[in-house]
Amino acid sequence: MVLHLTTAAIQEVGSTPRGRLFIFPILGGSFEGDRVRGKVLAGGADWATATADGAFELDLRATLEADDGALIYLTFTGVRDDARQYLRTLPRFETAAPQYDFLNRLLAVGIGEIRPDGPVHIIEELL
Amino acid sequence: MTLRVSVSSPQNIGAVPHGTRRTVPLNGGDFEGPRLRGTVVPEGSADWLLLRADGVLELDLRVTLLTHDGALISMKSFGLRHGPPEVIAAIARGETVDPALYYFRTTPRFETAHPTYAFLNRIIAVATGDRRADGPIYAIHEVL
Repeated sequence: MVLHLTTAAIQEVGSTPRGRLFIFPILGGSFEGDRVRGKVLAGGADWATATADGAFELDLRATLEADDGALIYLTFTGVRDDARQYLRTLPRFETAAPQYDFLNRLLAVGIGEIRPDGPVHIIEELL
Repeated sequence: MTLRVSVSSPQNIGAVPHGTRRTVPLNGGDFEGPRLRGTVVPEGSADWLLLRADGVLELDLRVTLLTHDGALISMKSFGLRHGPPEVIAAIARGETVDPALYYFRTTPRFETAHPTYAFLNRIIAVATGDRRADGPIYAIHEVL
């Protein structure tokens, strides 16, 4: 699926014991795939910690609402290394909706890109 | 790279709030790929398993790798394993099963302080598992 996010102003928490922490709050967005599509609800964020080698460790939590009203909890961890245009993530999904139960049972990888209007992630199931 | 681990006797923790928990210590193993090779340090290496109510087995593998040139690499790998009941039962009996018949995928992350292997700190990887009687074999690939 393709996930588009719109984010609010960055919250720069600053230097923490694990590195410099930046929080990217999520305002909304959309997602569309073969089996599920809908919108991203406000309230999530991506917690990005800058590591000493110049990359970021990502930790995102978001709630997706499918077009039939089902809610899906999305989390991912990942690495963003702008020096080599590398943004790769490991999304996980949790849902109580039976029609999307397959999401509870799969692992996925995401390839992301930061665009002017927000991050875009192409997420594919590990087959 | 290919990682082979050998398992020792499981520690059956039993029913916990989120499912049935079992810890499987590792007693060794080895790994080999184009950029690194070496052995598994058994001390502290194990797979923490949680069988969920929906029949999916969640894997939480933590392994310390020792490269041929002496670097220590910490690997943590979350995974899922599930399949048709008869296939899962055959695996439990120790039979060798075609890995295409069930879903066994993991997502390793690596940490190291050794400069030669620093690239591992910055990559996302995926793995396909093949559960053999003496332990799983993982084919691990960087997400390019």
